[in-house]
Amino acid sequence: EPTLYTVKGMAILDNDGNRILAKYYDKNVFPTSKEQKTFEKNLFSKTHRANAEIIMLDGLTCVYRSNVDLFFYVMGSSHENEVCIIRLCQVFQILSWNINLLGLFQLILMSVLNCLYDSVSSILRKNVEKRAVLDSLDIVMLAMDEICDGGIILDADATSVVQRVALRTDDIPLGEQTVAQVLQSAKEQLKWSLLK
Amino acid sequence: MITFKRDKKEEEDGGGNPFQNLEKTTVLQEARTFNNTPVNPRKCAHILTKILYLLNQGEQLGTTEATEAFFAMTKLFQSRDVILRRLVYLGIKELSSLAEDVIIVTSSLTKDMTGKEDLYRAAAIRALCTITDSSMLAAIERYMKQAIIDRSPAVSSAALVSSLHLTSVSSDVARRWANEAQEALNCDNVMVQYHALGVLYQARKADKHAVIKLVAKLMRTSPKSPYAACMLIRMAYKLLDEVDEGEELIGFIESCLRHKSEMVVYEAAHALVNLGRSGAREIGPAISVLQLFCGSPKPALRFAAVRTLNKVAMSHPAAVTACNLDLENLITDSNRSIATLAITTLLKTGAESSVDR
Repeated sequence: EPTLYTVKGMAILDNDGNRILAKYYDKNVFPTSKEQKTFEKNLFSKTHRANAEIIMLDGLTCVYRSNVDLFFYVMGSSHENEVCIIRLCQVFQILSWNINLLGLFQLILMSVLNCLYDSVSSILRKNVEKRAVLDSLDIVMLAMDEICDGGIILDADATSVVQRVALRTDDIPLGEQTVAQVLQSAKEQLKWSLLK
Repeated sequence: MITFKRDKKEEEDGGGNPFQNLEKTTVLQEARTFNNTPVNPRKCAHILTKILYLLNQGEQLGTTEATEAFFAMTKLFQSRDVILRRLVYLGIKELSSLAEDVIIVTSSLTKDMTGKEDLYRAAAIRALCTITDSSMLAAIERYMKQAIIDRSPAVSSAALVSSLHLTSVSSDVARRWANEAQEALNCDNVMVQYHALGVLYQARKADKHAVIKLVAKLMRTSPKSPYAACMLIRMAYKLLDEVDEGEELIGFIESCLRHKSEMVVYEAAHALVNLGRSGAREIGPAISVLQLFCGSPKPALRFAAVRTLNKVAMSHPAAVTACNLDLENLITDSNRSIATLAITTLLKTGAESSVDR
């Protein structure tokens, strides 16, 4: 039956498989929060090592991507067009990249502060990527809400989703791609210097 | 080393997640801040985020608790802060099924959906439709029809998607708003096109001839939106089950094998090989496309292709034999699902010669 209801769920998990955010759109798929979390644990244990992009689990097609210490999942029914939902997952990841940008300013401040006052070992313990998402949790929630509405793909273009949620325009000129690229490379360098 | 590890863990648990160890009662108590005037947007947004986070983690709220939180939240409409307002919309959606008397926010949301700011309007429409029941439907109908044909794609999409959700409230919503959806179908935006097609199909799906007319018309113009194209292929595929003459429909699906979007190409190939009536000749081009996908660097494409081939191997093993070499390459694929599917497919099509290899 042709329908627009294609997405069964979306989730962001941390590197222990704990839920940061998750939404399930079909009441018949994992109706209780307990079932959802069991599924997430199972999903995580099967996907966190292999970076294989796609897996079938409990009758769902799950596509996924990871980003340092974050795991992004989009679930569709097994009859769903895989290529279509992997597209959503890409949007999700690009978005996280932008969300990290939102947290970047705190990140720079933090590192400067740490360089001055703290030892390198204390910096090593900071989990930058997950933190960035948690620091902008409100924006991430709004973004998820803009990507999928009740199981219908609302927007599958990262630029457009970011435009719809990037409300803190005073912080970051997200429209300027060049600036964003500079920030990204700065972030990469910073990350590697911290991880050394 | 061990102590270091434990330290690290503790640090992560305590300092890593500012939302960990939130107490429901404490957070709900904090929500009383919402009643203060003037509203402190940063502080209130943070508290609201905590409530939304708790709900997302599966925390259960009783009706009284939810209603109290909901009513406190309505006070935040006083503030013009954008993030806060958008979070309030989210809160309305999340609490609408738990709290009582949620229709109290109808007028605030109607005001926002007819206001100037497009980003408010789209989100307000979606929030409004989650609290709308059959008695309220008539009151918002005029606004919804306008929103569907709005020049802003965000507003138009929000209204179209919401009307689909509203069919669970009143089954004839889609039919009543079909004229507007028809107009939205001509929109340049790929998502609006897709959502409009979804509403039109919902409006006409009970009437076979209306669907045939809709599909026939769209086949000629071929929708630009890959999502709409996928939907159209599914509609055509379903019609093929119901009509006797389907040459045109099959021709259309075949033409989609040359679409520039992989998603549409796959959808078309999938439809063609699953048609009960097609013989080896008809599925030939589709199999070739799937064979190409088997060599794609993208795991999702390889997975999709091998899964479909696996299914066809049951009905047309001979046609799939052409892909045997490609399937053999997939046996060692790093994605285990792909490897497993490749092996089981080969078992259906393979001959002794390939077993040796």
